[in-house]
Amino acid sequence: MTKDELWQAVLAQIQFNISPANFGTWFKNTGILLKKEKGVIVSVPNNFSKEWLENKYNKTILNILRGLDGEIKDIKYKVVHSGLKTKPAENNLDEINQLEFPEFKINKETNLNPRYIFENFIVGSFNELSHAAATAVSKSPGIIYNPLFIYGGVGLGKTHLLQAIGNEIIKNSPRKKVKYLSSEKFTSEVVTAIKNHSMESLKSLYREIDVLIIDDIQFLAGKEKTQEEFFHTFNALYNKDKQIVLSSDRPPASIPSMEERLRSRFEGGMITDISLPEFETRLAILKIKTQEKKIKISEEILEYISSHIKRNIRELEGALNRLIVYQKLNNQSPDIETAKTLLKNIILHSVKVANSKKIIQSVSDFYDLKEKELFSISRRKEIIRPRQIAMYLFREELKSSFPFIGRKFNGKDHTTVIHACNKISKEIKNDEKVEEEINLIKQRIYSI
Amino acid sequence: MKITILKENLNKGLNITEKISGKNLTLPILNNVLISTDKNFLNLAATNLETGINYWTLAKIEKQGKITIPAKFLFNLISSLPDKKINLEVKNNLLFIECENYKAQIKGFNPEEFPIIPVIKTENFIEINNSLLSEGLSQVVDFCASTQIKPELSGIYFQIQKDRILLTATDSFRLAEKTLYYKKSNDFSYSSGEAKEYSFILPQKTTQELLNILSEKSSDNAKENKLKVYFSPNQILFEFPMLDSPSSSFPQLRFISRLIEGEFPDYQEIIPKKHKTQAVLAKDVFLNQIKTASLFSGKINEVKIKIDPSKNKIEIFSQNPELGENKSSVAAQIKGSPLEISLNYKFLLDGLLNIKTSEIILEFNSGDEPVILKPVGDSSYLYVVMPIKP
Repeated sequence: MTKDELWQAVLAQIQFNISPANFGTWFKNTGILLKKEKGVIVSVPNNFSKEWLENKYNKTILNILRGLDGEIKDIKYKVVHSGLKTKPAENNLDEINQLEFPEFKINKETNLNPRYIFENFIVGSFNELSHAAATAVSKSPGIIYNPLFIYGGVGLGKTHLLQAIGNEIIKNSPRKKVKYLSSEKFTSEVVTAIKNHSMESLKSLYREIDVLIIDDIQFLAGKEKTQEEFFHTFNALYNKDKQIVLSSDRPPASIPSMEERLRSRFEGGMITDISLPEFETRLAILKIKTQEKKIKISEEILEYISSHIKRNIRELEGALNRLIVYQKLNNQSPDIETAKTLLKNIILHSVKVANSKKIIQSVSDFYDLKEKELFSISRRKEIIRPRQIAMYLFREELKSSFPFIGRKFNGKDHTTVIHACNKISKEIKNDEKVEEEINLIKQRIYSI
Repeated sequence: MKITILKENLNKGLNITEKISGKNLTLPILNNVLISTDKNFLNLAATNLETGINYWTLAKIEKQGKITIPAKFLFNLISSLPDKKINLEVKNNLLFIECENYKAQIKGFNPEEFPIIPVIKTENFIEINNSLLSEGLSQVVDFCASTQIKPELSGIYFQIQKDRILLTATDSFRLAEKTLYYKKSNDFSYSSGEAKEYSFILPQKTTQELLNILSEKSSDNAKENKLKVYFSPNQILFEFPMLDSPSSSFPQLRFISRLIEGEFPDYQEIIPKKHKTQAVLAKDVFLNQIKTASLFSGKINEVKIKIDPSKNKIEIFSQNPELGENKSSVAAQIKGSPLEISLNYKFLLDGLLNIKTSEIILEFNSGDEPVILKPVGDSSYLYVVMPIKP
């Protein structure tokens, strides 16, 4: 007889000896914690039950137990935290406006925000592959696609997808240790550990994790000690078949100042990208958001928003929020004309124009160079290519003339510029990777 | 059981114990108070299986014994009696009460059915000044979360340290923190000389009961009294000494409660360390204006506040599409950038009402980040509130 069966048998007999009210009060959430040769330890939910069972029912329980198992001679009682799981919070939409302390929504151990789940992730052709890979990973973490590397521009749902993987894994197997953190947090943990001489405890902490999710890994660029620490953690986890999920705003190959051994490891698993959502998906996203927020906004307006805001899902939501506030204040849905004026700021803002400053800034950021270096006369390889790309972008995005571009770059000859533009255009045609790289830079230019 | 006791003493004890015994339909014995004799003392006990209370009072005991009687009923009866000696006698589960010209008999329950109130077996305790604790708790007790969604937020977080006690409560929309500094030597002491730090979460209901008991005690005209606190991993015991006879073998009162399991969130992270806008203003004027504005606020209790550093003025605005709108302003010394923010007026009032000074400091960062409220010249109290989405 297992200990659970034994206790059930005890309960079955005790029922006859006491009133149902007493039975319900004192024997609820009790059980046998441990069964040794000659004795048992009975778990009780609180001290009141403990006192009561010890003093009032000890004899009865002991008699019944001995009837079932002659070996048992003695019973001990122990208060055990029932670990009572409460129901998850019901989202009260009336109070959705009252903000909560954001820190409380996040699970302390995993750092995950329970709001991000697969169920509210909208799939379109632009993120299909990433979504499929993410669901596959969450079903069998560590086995397929390890590491999973997701990249894409800002506000397209990388973080949502990453957190959804974590939340799904916890839902399926609550015992798994999942940890989500941004690379910035990781860096600061490493720095604190170095400062406090507690590197060892940090190491052992990370090596016990089953699923490690790191967001915005590109920020590790240039931080050598952190990279080294991450490298060892990565290897330790990888060798134990623990899942690693990473995200970045560009593919591993384009992250500058990233150690080669790390880069090759990132590329060893599955790399997927999230590109820009098309019109239909944007519209679908808006519709789901209006449902979530339980408001009605006319199809016409939704179409207007989704045809004008193209690059960023977060901005879509911002536009929607603006309309909701209007609706709350005036107690009526905005019509298309009001919507247009209300959204003028956001939409004008989103029809962004490129200018020379933005291009320089984005290119130098992307390749982790100083802006000055782009204009220097250096012929170092790591500067020449970004410079050529910048020239190409000047030509493509601003339609500047070759001599103008040459003057801009420290008096270079216009033939140099022509060479650069041709070279990059050719590379784009022949190599998809380069095309992607350029697209990512363009995204940055237009998102500044 | 046969005893004689002063009405006043019995009444006082019943007044405190009766509040613990609640209405329990599944286990009616919990609505009762257990009356028993213990050498020269009469003991009153009540419990709701979360907390338990034992109260001792001196009585002339002729015959030992015990009985349980519906608590509320007994309290109502005893308080209506004249201030004289009362004779209590138990025969066949009946309690006979005699006082001057009154005679009553009440049907009791079998005392063997009454739950056993647990005890904490430890010698180590700390002592805290009653009025210090009572004042501090009353400033935070209202801000616990009332739902059971996050159990660890449904109580007051105590951090007992060598030089201070921190009391914190939050319902995830706002947070109040009170620091109790030990000003006098008898404000706080350890029993064994070892300076151990304790932290635990005391359920809100227990805290309210404790405050009740503390306020009863403060009317005992001995404000400098201390209570003892004993700890065990999942329970806490508050013990009030017997004042009339300090050497007696029993304390006056023992109040035991379960503690909330779980870990209180790292709330220090919530409290903004920097601010972009700071305003210093008169509390009463501001309080009054918020109250006025609240009349116009709609369902979500929204009041808009606009801080204008160039005019050194705070504008308060509220509107309700069905009623109309209201605007007022109050002078303030403002540092930093201008700002507009929407707040729930109830949350704002709760904070303001717990600040005792005449001037307050408000600190803001942006329209969707927490706001700090604190008294001027008193670093012991802090109130943080989240705004309403702009």
